[in-house]
Amino acid sequence: MSDQKTPRKSALGEVKGHIDALATGFKYFVDPHRMTLDYPAEAMELPKNYRGFFRLIDEKCIGCSLCEIVCPSNAIVMMQLPVAQPPAPKAGAQGSQQAGAQPAPRPAPRVKKRPLVDWGMCIFCYFCVDVCPTEAFEPSNIHDLSYFEESEYRPTFEGFLKLPESPSRNSRKVVARLDEKNGIRYEEKGDKE
Amino acid sequence: MTQEIKTVPFTYEALSQLEMKEGILELQIGPAHAGSGHMRILAWVEGDTVVKVDPDVGFVHRGVEKLSEDRLYIKAIPIVERPSLVDTVNANLGYVIALERLLGLEPPPRAQYIRVITAEISRIMSHLYGIAIYGIFMGSSTVFMWAVADREPFIDLLQELTGARITYSHIIPGGVRWDLPKGFADKVEVALRYLENRMKDYEKVWINNPVVMARSVGVGKLSSQDAIRLGVVGPNLRASGVKYDVRKNDPYAAYADFDFEVPTFKEGDSYSRLLIRVEEIKQSMSIIRQALKRLPEGKVIYEDYYKRMSPLMKEIYDKTGRVKFTLMLTSLSPPKGEAISRVEGGRGEMFYYLVSDGGKNPYRFRLVTPSFRNLPYFTHVMPGHKLADIPVIYGSIDYFPPEADR
Amino acid sequence: MMTFLYFIPNSWLPLLESAFYALIFPGFVAILLLAFFIIWFERKAAARVQMRYGPLWVSKRTGGIIQLLADMIRFSFQEFIVPQGADFIPFVFLPGLLLAFSVLPTVFIPIGPDYSHIFPSSYTLLLAVAFTLVIPVYLVVLGWAADNKFSFIGALREAYLLISYEVPFILAVASAFLLYGTLDLVKIVGIQESTLPGIILNPIAAIVYIIAVIRATGRVPYDIVEADSELVFGPYTEYSSLMFGFVMGVPYIELYSYSLLFSVLFLSGWAPVTGIGFLGGLILPGIVTFVKAVIVMCFLVFLRAVYPRYKLDKAVRAGWSWVFYLALISLLLSAFVSRVLW
Repeated sequence: MSDQKTPRKSALGEVKGHIDALATGFKYFVDPHRMTLDYPAEAMELPKNYRGFFRLIDEKCIGCSLCEIVCPSNAIVMMQLPVAQPPAPKAGAQGSQQAGAQPAPRPAPRVKKRPLVDWGMCIFCYFCVDVCPTEAFEPSNIHDLSYFEESEYRPTFEGFLKLPESPSRNSRKVVARLDEKNGIRYEEKGDKE
Repeated sequence: MTQEIKTVPFTYEALSQLEMKEGILELQIGPAHAGSGHMRILAWVEGDTVVKVDPDVGFVHRGVEKLSEDRLYIKAIPIVERPSLVDTVNANLGYVIALERLLGLEPPPRAQYIRVITAEISRIMSHLYGIAIYGIFMGSSTVFMWAVADREPFIDLLQELTGARITYSHIIPGGVRWDLPKGFADKVEVALRYLENRMKDYEKVWINNPVVMARSVGVGKLSSQDAIRLGVVGPNLRASGVKYDVRKNDPYAAYADFDFEVPTFKEGDSYSRLLIRVEEIKQSMSIIRQALKRLPEGKVIYEDYYKRMSPLMKEIYDKTGRVKFTLMLTSLSPPKGEAISRVEGGRGEMFYYLVSDGGKNPYRFRLVTPSFRNLPYFTHVMPGHKLADIPVIYGSIDYFPPEADR
Repeated sequence: MMTFLYFIPNSWLPLLESAFYALIFPGFVAILLLAFFIIWFERKAAARVQMRYGPLWVSKRTGGIIQLLADMIRFSFQEFIVPQGADFIPFVFLPGLLLAFSVLPTVFIPIGPDYSHIFPSSYTLLLAVAFTLVIPVYLVVLGWAADNKFSFIGALREAYLLISYEVPFILAVASAFLLYGTLDLVKIVGIQESTLPGIILNPIAAIVYIIAVIRATGRVPYDIVEADSELVFGPYTEYSSLMFGFVMGVPYIELYSYSLLFSVLFLSGWAPVTGIGFLGGLILPGIVTFVKAVIVMCFLVFLRAVYPRYKLDKAVRAGWSWVFYLALISLLLSAFVSRVLW
């Protein structure tokens, strides 16, 4: 194995080399192993754990900023959002009922901190998803995104609450299958699962 | 093959004089040239013979070191992957090993084995890419397409494991982020067998192709003494007959447990640099098979980190094998000190130097990449060859400009 | 002859035939269509070997066969840039001249037995070979005119290869001449019809001819002149726009005339089909000759899918050593075979 010498070829070996190369090329010409994915028409069904776009589950988020701290590309910014205050008369009525029993409750915070991801900067390392102590990010395997205008792309908090729509969502879904002989073939989803 | 190199002054007047008087033609190959990559090769040719070559690197410098010093320790993981995009696992592994040495922790054996498996898959992909680049530089688009396409099964494997195609960020201090999914070993076996089958066709079309042999046998020779003197690393060093592999000479992760050879070749020419990559792919396959067979049970993350996880995090880990980051992992602050690590990347030895001042960011981070250390091939091996040999030697050393520029 | 064209005076007919021959088949229109086909085939064949589809999206139903048309439209709307230091007149006019000269040899190559009254000459082989060998000279001038170092080096490479491969090529043609004992291509096919195809009578000459054709037309593995990883695009580096389309098409048209000559010289031309008159003596045999030439062309462009590029000094050395020796052997073989047979 070690200290090998590179082989040398005789004239006859060269002729054989040419014939072998041509024959192999011809073999693939007759029986091609194509692995092109006809992308907009058909799209690969990615595994469930594919690191794609994710959304924020507002109810679970506690605004701890850990995701902002751990983001390697500084794509996450914590936003200060105003909290919808409960209407004043109702709060007053509740307050009057329990006034005697407990000390006055701490005033609800006026703002809440929520993360916002700029997808243009995100590198999909999923550190934020993994660091979140309450699993407030819902991951998805959507990996493609397209917009007609820049204004649609601009990150907004409302936009971050729902998953983006993949441009290939209506494409024919195929699964990459590997076999020993032919390599990767894209097959219709669901014929084996 | 190192020969007396004419010194060529770098002023325009001197250059034009050279062109006029001595019949030496200055060629600027790159940075926008089909055969240069993200770099410029300044070559001076006299007739068809190359007199001097000056690689002009730095076109894709991204400041990985300074970017990492600006951030938390853990944030550097995706950044160190970026320079060598075809060999991300090894780049990631080296940084994490340096960090673990600073922290003084030892990951559990299962994590070590998974690291070896992913690192070897990454090495196979890196070597295939090297073969691909060699092919396209020599004018064979078929081998380029084949080798790039045959990376796809392995990309698919790691995609299933980590959820990303290239930048996996899979290895973290104390272990790995995801345990192997069910049935992973069978899929790896299928992929390996597929590549074994394909390698026979590679041999016929590419490796034993008389035109390939005519162009690369004896071209770009570097003797073992010169290879050691110039400090080249990796498969290129081994192709020159020096039996040096960090995996054997300074084992890291779980490499000490495996039985594998370090193939070397005597010639040190471009053809042996091609063959050594093929041989190393075979060795990597053997390592992957051994690792999957002997994969130990247990956790994939350092015990102390697991203990500090919240119940929800533990539940997620037990159910899916996904490691959630604890606060401790996020804000690592290693004790004052310094650590080095070396790993054998696909292109050669990667060197990491990490200094901590006890704070939350690295005080100094240094990354020496194999491509940069293989630059002497341009300055010392190319002169004396024909102009047409420049892309052959360039392709054979598997030089990757972003990796050299960091 | 051509009774269906009853309204045309008889005296015009030879002229019309010549015009048809030059302009439609196997002349200009056929060459244009064939160039479309062969470039498409080259890309498709390479793609099949390389696990891809190749051109597909321009007319998907036909497998992207009109991709080249789309490319040409795109080229024609690009700006034509003349570099500042370029020699204007040669730089601008040579691509057209090259195109013209690459078409010319087809005039002398017969496609049917009734050809001799269109171009009456008993030296057609000599004329065809002479005109194919003009092109490299223009290429050298073209490379020099562009004032680009890569073009210049490409032109020099062309010159080197020209000298080293023209000799074997001419020797291969000479051994064909020695074999058949005539320079009239129509008679050459007649001899092959009565005996055996030239590729069986003298396979070595055929091999040398093919190697020289690969070299002359810059097919892989001898695309040393254009070598994209070394010289960007060789002599054509500075061309843009429609001129780029021209210079890109020249090697394919050259390939066509060489292959047509090969099918006449070594594949017995229109062999099974023969006859008299416009249809029987030119068109039907012409189709047979044409198909044989196309098969040869397909084989030659298929090499792209298998081989990398050869090196200049090795190619020149091969041209002066084993290809040259083979050519000499083929001469001897021709002398021997012609002595045995007739």
